[in-house]
Amino acid sequence: MSLAIGTVPDGIVQRVAGLAGRGARSWWAVFALGTAMIMIAPVLAPYAPTQAVAQPFLPPGARFLLGTDDVGHDVLSRVLYGMRSTWIAAIIVISIGVLIGGAIGTVAGLARGWLDNLLMRVTDGFLALPGPVLAIAIAASIGPSFGHTLIAISIVWWPYYARIVRGEARSLAARPFVEAARHGSQISVWRLALRHVLPGVAPAVIVAASLDVGNLILMLASLSFLGLGAPAPAPELGAMTAQGLSYLLTSWWVPIMPGLAVLVLALGSNFLGDGIRNSVGRHR
Amino acid sequence: MIRLVVRRLVSAVVIIIVLTAVLFVLQQTSHTNPIRLLVGANAPESVVQAARRRLGYDQPIVVQYVRYLRDLASGNLGISLRTHDTVAADIATFLPATVELALVGMLFAAVLSVIIGIGTAGGWRGSGTVKFVTVALASAPPFFLAIGGILIFAHRLTWLPATGQTSYLNPPSGPTGLLVADSILHGEPGIALDALRHLVLPSFCIAIGPAVSVGRVLRSSMQTSLASDYVRTARAKGRSEFSILFRHALRNALTAPLAMAGLQVGLLFAGDIIVETVFAWPGIGLYVEQSIPSGDFPAIAGVTLLLGVGYVVINTAVDLLQVAADPRIAIS
Repeated sequence: MSLAIGTVPDGIVQRVAGLAGRGARSWWAVFALGTAMIMIAPVLAPYAPTQAVAQPFLPPGARFLLGTDDVGHDVLSRVLYGMRSTWIAAIIVISIGVLIGGAIGTVAGLARGWLDNLLMRVTDGFLALPGPVLAIAIAASIGPSFGHTLIAISIVWWPYYARIVRGEARSLAARPFVEAARHGSQISVWRLALRHVLPGVAPAVIVAASLDVGNLILMLASLSFLGLGAPAPAPELGAMTAQGLSYLLTSWWVPIMPGLAVLVLALGSNFLGDGIRNSVGRHR
Repeated sequence: MIRLVVRRLVSAVVIIIVLTAVLFVLQQTSHTNPIRLLVGANAPESVVQAARRRLGYDQPIVVQYVRYLRDLASGNLGISLRTHDTVAADIATFLPATVELALVGMLFAAVLSVIIGIGTAGGWRGSGTVKFVTVALASAPPFFLAIGGILIFAHRLTWLPATGQTSYLNPPSGPTGLLVADSILHGEPGIALDALRHLVLPSFCIAIGPAVSVGRVLRSSMQTSLASDYVRTARAKGRSEFSILFRHALRNALTAPLAMAGLQVGLLFAGDIIVETVFAWPGIGLYVEQSIPSGDFPAIAGVTLLLGVGYVVINTAVDLLQVAADPRIAIS
């Protein structure tokens, strides 16, 4: 064992260490803080998101910071709840993508031969189709709902991760320390994958995932905008913009504010992703 | 070389067959039951069974799939549950407007990505600002860009029209179906100019996302290219900065961005559906958006198939173009 660890190339050690290093740690703190802030939306929101609390179309002011919509909902409260559900959805889809893609990529990368071939052909097939358009068709087929959008996007989102993990796993499998673990001691394939290969794969996947959250948020908002998310009174950012579209010229805040919230979420994720990439994989 | 071309074409055909299989499965799981829609929700069970047999829905799934493929091959995409017209006819009606928007969008995307790529590659003054603006634009959902554009450029500044494809009631139609081209062919430059003004905002909105992604790839390959020996040689020869950038560096830096551009067409298509909705653009994107609330899956599947085939064809063409541009790819 100690011999095996001793032959781990420096690059990998640095990269794995980079995930917990000083530079990365501050970005994880930002991530945790942001997530926590988004999660306490019910506490921050001044009103209930699906109840009419005032006259419709009140402009942004002291009582209703972002105004009220066509029903008389408080736009700020709805936006806060919408940001929370978008954020939760993005984390869920990324996790599903990383889990499915990671499993398939690891198996393909370590198995080689026909299994590798088969799994990668399927992955390439998915990657060769326009994912966003396919997600719309899938969601439309299984019927609009919040859960169904997550399923639809997950189906088109994992192949990207399968590709990355397979590439990393393959190159790691050829390194001396994995060879040593494979032949030197009688360890199971599970142990080999979990203890020796996956830690080396993690940095690349985490960097890819953190750069991906912004795109995913835009995708989720777009499906919701097309009416494929939760049904009407639910506070979803895309759907709020779509429903407020007819009031654009008379009460601009109704469609603009939820769209702006998507922009803020995606922009924040993109900067966070850049930060994580720079602190983890600077030498790549 | 020929072997490579054949292999790429075969894999394109296989992927399109996979796409039809996916759409067939989705059609089967679709929550709208085509037989119930045909005979009505309250029809007696015997009528439902008769309709099932008549339409062949009682046959094995493989037989149904083969029949579906045969229908597709003869251009039969089914009947829209909403417009009660054939989906193929509907698409033929709405496609030209989308083609026009997508073509102008791709042109915008190409120009913008070169500006973004070169503008941030050299680290010259202002490139930090360009970078920030690009990240911000890429983080904006397409519908937000669209409504923001309408508010600012159409409503506040009144520089551009807000929605639709033309301000004229009876614009010339045929032979190309593209309004700008048709107006010019009919000798109506005023209508063509008006159509172009209508194109500016929506095409910019679908172009920005792909342009930023391609621009980022172009930036990194430009940086490699600018650091190369042949650029140093060109500098030493006293070539102008313009000639170095565009003749020497850019040409050699185009391979990776080209591949990225092919992949980004998928994003452009998805953006098109959203943007057509906001701008009431009479294309297939608006057709899809209007089909969603009524659960009109044949219409959605038809457009998905069309966009999927378009995507595969474009990416195969990009692959082959890359080999033509850089023969080293064929060897590896």
